[in-house]
Amino acid sequence: MDAFSEELMRSVEDDDQVEASIGCGPEIHLPWLSQHLQNTVSHGHKGINFAQTTSICLNFIQEALLKHQWQRASEFLQHYFQALEDFNSQKRQVALQNIWKLGSAILYHHPKSNVETFNAFADRMKNIGVQNYLKISLQHALYLLHKGMVEEAYRNLNQAESWRYGEMSASQEKIIKLIQAYRGLLDYYTWSKKRTELSKFDMDGFATSAATQDMHSYFRQASVNLHEIIKIPGVWDPFVKSYVEMLEFYGDQDGARQVLTDYAYDNNFPSNPNAHIYLYKFLKKEKAPEDKLISVLKILHQIVPSHKIMLEFHMLLRKSKKEEHQKLGLEVLFAVLDFSGCTENITAWKYLAKYLKQIMMEKHLNWVQEGWSSRKDWWPTFHFSYYLAKKNWKENKILALEKAFTSGILLGKGKLSWGHLSGAPSSPDTYTSYLLKISVHSIPLLPPQRTR
Amino acid sequence: MDFPDNLFPTFFLPGPPGLSDSPGSYLAPAWSDYTQLLKPPQTQHPSVNPQHEASYVTKWGRWRSDTPGPLPFLRPGADPWDPDLTSRDLLFQGRLRHPFGAKATIDVIDQLNQFLRDHGDIAFGPLGKLLQENFNLGEPKKSRKGRTVMNAERLLQDLSGHQPKGCPWAHLSARQRRFSLLGGTVLGEEVEGLLGGLLHEELETRWKELLLDEASTGGALAWVPGAKPHVGQLVYPTGRAYNQLNFQKVKLSPTSEPQALGDPTRILLQGPVRQVVTRTVQEEALVAVRSDHHCAVWQVSRQGHPEPLQVLSTEKGATGISLSPHLPGELAVCSRSGAVCLWSPQDGLQQIHKDPETLVFKDPSSWRWADFTAHPRMLTVADRTGVRLTDVRGPSDCGELLFRVGAEASCQQGERILLAQYLGTSSPLSLSPTLHLICTQFSLYLLDERLPLVPMMKWTHSLMSPPLLAQLLPPPRPGAPLPLLLGGRGGHLRMLHLSGGSGCSPQLVAPPQSLPLLSDSLPGFPVLEPHGQQLLQDRLKAPLTGLTAVVPPSCPSPTMLLFQLSAAGDVFYQRLWLRPDTAAKNADSLQKSNSSADHADDPDLDSHDQTSATPSLDAAPDPGAVSWNPRAAACCRRWLKTLLRVPPALPSWTPPTFSQHYLRWLREEDRGKVREGLQAAMTEGRLLQQGDLGPLPPSDPPPAHEPFGPEDKLTERLEASWEGKGAIWWESQQGGSQVPRKRPSREKRRTQLSSSFSSVRTTSDFSDIDSRHETPSPLHRMSEASQSLELSQEPWARSVPRERRQTLRDYLAVLPSVDSGSCSTPQSQNPSSQTFLSSEPGRCSVPRSQNPTTRTLLSPHPGSSSALCSQNPNSQSLFSPDPGFSSVFHSQSSSIQSLPSRHTPSLAGSQPLKKKPRMGF
Repeated sequence: MDAFSEELMRSVEDDDQVEASIGCGPEIHLPWLSQHLQNTVSHGHKGINFAQTTSICLNFIQEALLKHQWQRASEFLQHYFQALEDFNSQKRQVALQNIWKLGSAILYHHPKSNVETFNAFADRMKNIGVQNYLKISLQHALYLLHKGMVEEAYRNLNQAESWRYGEMSASQEKIIKLIQAYRGLLDYYTWSKKRTELSKFDMDGFATSAATQDMHSYFRQASVNLHEIIKIPGVWDPFVKSYVEMLEFYGDQDGARQVLTDYAYDNNFPSNPNAHIYLYKFLKKEKAPEDKLISVLKILHQIVPSHKIMLEFHMLLRKSKKEEHQKLGLEVLFAVLDFSGCTENITAWKYLAKYLKQIMMEKHLNWVQEGWSSRKDWWPTFHFSYYLAKKNWKENKILALEKAFTSGILLGKGKLSWGHLSGAPSSPDTYTSYLLKISVHSIPLLPPQRTR
Repeated sequence: MDFPDNLFPTFFLPGPPGLSDSPGSYLAPAWSDYTQLLKPPQTQHPSVNPQHEASYVTKWGRWRSDTPGPLPFLRPGADPWDPDLTSRDLLFQGRLRHPFGAKATIDVIDQLNQFLRDHGDIAFGPLGKLLQENFNLGEPKKSRKGRTVMNAERLLQDLSGHQPKGCPWAHLSARQRRFSLLGGTVLGEEVEGLLGGLLHEELETRWKELLLDEASTGGALAWVPGAKPHVGQLVYPTGRAYNQLNFQKVKLSPTSEPQALGDPTRILLQGPVRQVVTRTVQEEALVAVRSDHHCAVWQVSRQGHPEPLQVLSTEKGATGISLSPHLPGELAVCSRSGAVCLWSPQDGLQQIHKDPETLVFKDPSSWRWADFTAHPRMLTVADRTGVRLTDVRGPSDCGELLFRVGAEASCQQGERILLAQYLGTSSPLSLSPTLHLICTQFSLYLLDERLPLVPMMKWTHSLMSPPLLAQLLPPPRPGAPLPLLLGGRGGHLRMLHLSGGSGCSPQLVAPPQSLPLLSDSLPGFPVLEPHGQQLLQDRLKAPLTGLTAVVPPSCPSPTMLLFQLSAAGDVFYQRLWLRPDTAAKNADSLQKSNSSADHADDPDLDSHDQTSATPSLDAAPDPGAVSWNPRAAACCRRWLKTLLRVPPALPSWTPPTFSQHYLRWLREEDRGKVREGLQAAMTEGRLLQQGDLGPLPPSDPPPAHEPFGPEDKLTERLEASWEGKGAIWWESQQGGSQVPRKRPSREKRRTQLSSSFSSVRTTSDFSDIDSRHETPSPLHRMSEASQSLELSQEPWARSVPRERRQTLRDYLAVLPSVDSGSCSTPQSQNPSSQTFLSSEPGRCSVPRSQNPTTRTLLSPHPGSSSALCSQNPNSQSLFSPDPGFSSVFHSQSSSIQSLPSRHTPSLAGSQPLKKKPRMGF
């Protein structure tokens, strides 16, 4: 046989780990291959082995879960425990993970389950395998947190953090960091609780200083852990937010700014729009110079041109003295309206209409031309079609008028003498003409009159 | 748009997939199913803003089906359907040698054996022709001219008309033995070398297809909403070759069952329909269809008439097509060459991306996919390894990755993208319009295009077939979570409940749910005799090739209709209701009392059926269990009645009823007739039948089928009992009325037998059959069916088992060609299509006609407006050069020409853009 068959003939280690290659090159792993093989091989074959019963049992549990039959799933799970007796240690490991995964899901949903049952299950599971201790601890803590049991969660995380077993693998180190970070977040909860208490009640000097001390110790605990995690690339929104809030409270503006700048601009991190927004909001609160704010939002504009904060950005740019900024202001508006989620954003249309008018007054026709050139072939259909004119007029007359005005400038001909701009001659301004047709009474509001 | 301001904390560590030790594999939401239901930690104290929310079930209820399984919606098609290949057909069926190991070996030897047995004349014929000079087969004189001529007369006499073909126990004379020993190597090598290679290649392709059939990605069933909210159309392919596109009008009603209105409008295409996509943008409904080498787009008028707009041909094969949700008439198409193009019938093609290599790492698959994004000028370009966001206006190779198979999303080793779909809708109640669904063979990912590479959600779907179908539905009630349907090719359906508007990240709000399968409907059908039951079972287990859900308008309580299309061409539906779960508590106690129920399951459970499980599992207490109501059962019964009327698929192979022997020893005048008959049969590609060869020499009937005296009685009895007249036969035997029966000829007997088969099927088990509608004789129907087949398929392929068709085709291509002069094209052999195409060329070209009745009149079969049919499958010009057609498209082509010229590279990369759109497949 040739290479293909040889590849297929490779012995298969695990029932659900059957590898098959489709063609050459890196292999695609198809989970259903083992079924095809089993179907063929076990045809007419009476006996059924341990691995098969286990996998059938696993399938039944999953089936019951998908049918939301929690009780039945739990009964099957009891039978699945046999998988822990497998000779193969790797399979045992997989079985353990499956039991935790399925068991926790069942206990989460089972109508008769409660926190105590879940705790008991989690504690048992933690101690069965060394490798899973940290993972299960963290998930357990998240469960408790979800149930609003902050103290228990904190105790759990603490316990997990102090857990030591031989040398830790790289992944375990990472997960320890995550556990610490969650503990830091819980410390922050306590800290912020104490802060509100402190601000609410008038206390005498001694009590105040003691409470402040106490609060400060929470801050120290939290900040160490949070500082650690946000150095590792990832999405750490709640951690960064809480850490910055604490730093701000203690007046460490530089530290906070540094944290936010790193979070936003480190190339190893994913391009998280929130990082830029946090930085912008921080700088805005700090009353940073406008140029600084603009430079932050400029980057956000490149990542997420559709963000609602872009309208704020537009206002900043419009107020700016620099011509370059004013030009960008138009592009920002155009870019916002490019997105399908923003087509009916009335503020954006209002801004655009107003700004176009202003630009026209200032005779920066080339700006409009530049922005329009990449849009002239699709904006007329996307924004200014006859259908949309009808729809907008029916649903929101103000929006329709704003759009009609813009459409008049971008597409219209004649009095405005925008002939050189209207790059879509084939599609006349159907939007405005429709509105003109149906709203004879509102003619005074319509673009030609308004812009004149 | 708002971006979720608080994301779930995760690590972001790039790396190759399958690093079991990478912390990325502990991506929080992927740990366990329940953690996905947790909200990301807030910066407020949880006790201030507790997450204690009413669970989905108590708040919204549960989606439940009316019936335990889907119900047939349309009558089964007129074509018989034989089930697809299974692994059993392809793989070596040995016993396990090692208890822990299983081996997959494609069983080429068995297949080759079968082929040589069934098609020995094809396999050895050419060789025989070559060697003919050197053998004397009984001709009076053979010129020697220095050649060694072997006298094979005695050899043939030894065979004496018997065909030991495939019979290992046949008697061999010493002469035969010697001949086979000497000639065997030569004959064997030749066939093995030529045929074995082709066959192996073919089997390999089949095996790959069986494991992952990427052609049907996206699904071939779609819904076009009509002008009125309660009327719409289902668009789906039928026919044995999936080449008939149907537009079936359907009337929805809030409470009662959906109704099919009249016969569907049919359009006959020249290729199998693999994917059907519909979109209604700004009240313009478009239907896009992908075939293997063509893509086409229709516009559906407000009255519901489809009008063809344009057809595109791709040289290397199209792999995906999608319609823009933003701009009417814009499509994205991708081909195997690695090209992705933006296509609009008005502006032609614009190449967006072209790269024969995959995006992230090297993968041999040539599958490509493209979809739209929230920005009308941005597309996603996907292959097996990653998804990239590409700007239509920018250079083709720039753009950032939206998703990659790697450690960021904690992908497993060997994980590949099977489906990438844009989930955005413009509805404000929906999820954020920037979300994309990505399915691999293990998991489902939701990605926000504003935060690339970091999945917003990951769920392990554990489907045991490739998830190739997905659909996001609008929320059943304002504020309720959105159902996301996921369908595997094996028929398994999952329903996820997603929440999250533009301001918060998408999240599961309830544990995912499985929906009933087609094969769950089996108990709803009456029990049949074994072969009928098998037929029904095969039919219900056919792979799922299309899925679409429709929300009927103005319903008092939230409901949806779920339509499913199977590979057998059946459309099934089920109605799901979102109902409050009042029985939750009662059910629990019920569960407890019944928990000791016997779960003894069949140990030899077919693993494919595990979701359907065994009856004992299904009988287990389920609070939502519904039973088959009489109306549903009647519906199933009606459908089954029609199904059983469909003539069974032709037997894959019947041994020929003649042998070389009789050809050779014919008289001269007969020989011409035989040759003609043979040639006619060959050109038509059908079986050579006795009728083609003229009457057999009466002295020499085929000995193999000579019935023996005592056996004849048995045959008679069997025949009688097949026809349900066993008792009468018995009585006649008992009564001693030995009426001398005229022995029926073989041919006739077979006809009777087959008719008895179908007549038994139609009458058994149905006492309520309406006798007024007498079924036409099965033979008659069969001829009808085959006629319609000939329109679409190379007819010779009919009788050959599917798995061998391609091999046969390839092999025939290698063969020395038959007399080209006498070989006529299939068209001339097909009277119905010929008359259709030639007799009314002028009227044939009115596909845009507004009057459906004219079309119906024109078409050869009632209801099938096959105006697009062009008969020659190999011809490059896809569309018959009718003046009428070009005039139809005149306006369009002229509009293209009048437009300013723009860069329009072709889809396949090498073909220039056809100015004049070509029609028809």
